[in-house]
Amino acid sequence: MRRALGALAHYWPIAAVFVGWDLWVVLNGYTTVVAPRPGLVLADIAAEPGAYAGDLLRTLLTSLVGLVLGMGVGILAAIAVWSSAAVSGVVTPAALVLRSVPVTAMIPVIARVAGYGDSSILLIIVVVSFFPAFVLTVSGLAATPAAGRDLFGVLGAGRLRTLVRLQLPHAVPHVMVAFRLTAPSAVLAALLAEYLVGTGGLGHLFSTARSYMELERAWGTALLATVVSVLVFVLARGAERRVGARFS
Amino acid sequence: MSAAARRAALATTGVLVLLAGAEAVGRAGIAGPSWPPLSEVAAHLLDADRRATVVRAASATLASAAEGLLAGVLVAAAAAFTGLLLPPLRPGLDRLAALLHAVPVIALAPLLITTVGREATPTVVAGLGAGFVMFVAFSSGLSLGGRRSTHDDVFDALGANRVRRLLRLQLPASVPTVLDGLTLAAPAAVLGATIGEWFGAPRGLGVLIVSAMQNFQVTLLWSAAACATALSLAAYGLTTALQRAAVRRMA
Repeated sequence: MRRALGALAHYWPIAAVFVGWDLWVVLNGYTTVVAPRPGLVLADIAAEPGAYAGDLLRTLLTSLVGLVLGMGVGILAAIAVWSSAAVSGVVTPAALVLRSVPVTAMIPVIARVAGYGDSSILLIIVVVSFFPAFVLTVSGLAATPAAGRDLFGVLGAGRLRTLVRLQLPHAVPHVMVAFRLTAPSAVLAALLAEYLVGTGGLGHLFSTARSYMELERAWGTALLATVVSVLVFVLARGAERRVGARFS
Repeated sequence: MSAAARRAALATTGVLVLLAGAEAVGRAGIAGPSWPPLSEVAAHLLDADRRATVVRAASATLASAAEGLLAGVLVAAAAAFTGLLLPPLRPGLDRLAALLHAVPVIALAPLLITTVGREATPTVVAGLGAGFVMFVAFSSGLSLGGRRSTHDDVFDALGANRVRRLLRLQLPASVPTVLDGLTLAAPAAVLGATIGEWFGAPRGLGVLIVSAMQNFQVTLLWSAAACATALSLAAYGLTTALQRAAVRRMA
């Protein structure tokens, strides 16, 4: 009983969303063509999980691969420019400008340039994941305490050893912050790109369900997309906390 | 040269190199016909007739984003204040704040089209995007999580009630965090407005970008994308300036 009350205290907003959604549909007198009730949407997911599973996996996998690739390239680029204050001073503001390009403007441009298709979707996620990792790794490398650098200098450590043994471990929490910030944006970018130019994935399932007026399917996809995105965020936040505690 | 001047010079060089690189790629045609030289994009924006289309779309997007931002801030503030005045709701609101951060607004946009209509969708999506961020900022600024300071003890000892504590202590103390959130919420509102427009709004940069992509109007596509970027940068720049000024004043 006490446990149930504790769960209610923490999770009442989720119940409130479903109740509010149901009330909103019923009170406005919406037919299923306008907005289906939550029960119908959940029933559609429960009745045909196979219709969702493939696209769900595809979106997850694309987001994950793109996220890892983009962050990897971002970290390598940050290490490459870090060695020179002048180079990183030149590159970082440009990266900040590119980071401000709204993903809704970036997707159509990349899709037009790189072609409609799955490789473009991956490229879009890589680009979206690159900038936060790059910017935060540069700042992490720069934030190494001077005392540590002095110690390594006195002990005669070379640049490479200082980088590997001191500065990279120091940048790890910054990289994890980038991971937490980027993970939901990578999923959002994947969904948007799939919606516009994809041949599969939740975004594509959503656009086809909408054009065939399969409203339960469309809302079910939206619901799953939300769940996936929230799960990815919660996992990323957990990873950030665990790794951050280990490294600081 | 002072450190600040040096930094500004390096930054300007970086942006110029970026622009020159994009121009060179366009001229050489390395990336194909869909990557125009930036000078052509600039020419598109300088031509009065062609600029008018982009400006009309940009002002529609700006209006949606600004209205959405305002509504998002107000609703987020109201929700956070409710949490402060009704403590039993707090653990749930705290968790809600973390989750809302991750909700993909794309999932909501097309559903809104059928319910609130094509005209209003960009504003509502902008409001949701900005509101989610602002709710996180308000709840951490007002420390809904329950951290207490010595000031709280003083207010306790002097017998302040919840409303007075909110007005005199928690609200002023939350200003820097809330403005920090605003620097994220303003670009999020621009993004939200363009997402809302993607799904069939009658006007706006999002519509223009998608239709230019589909109709192979390359310079129009790049002009509209550049405009959206400028809006997003301006939103970030203005709110950052506001935040810095407030932090200087409060410190």
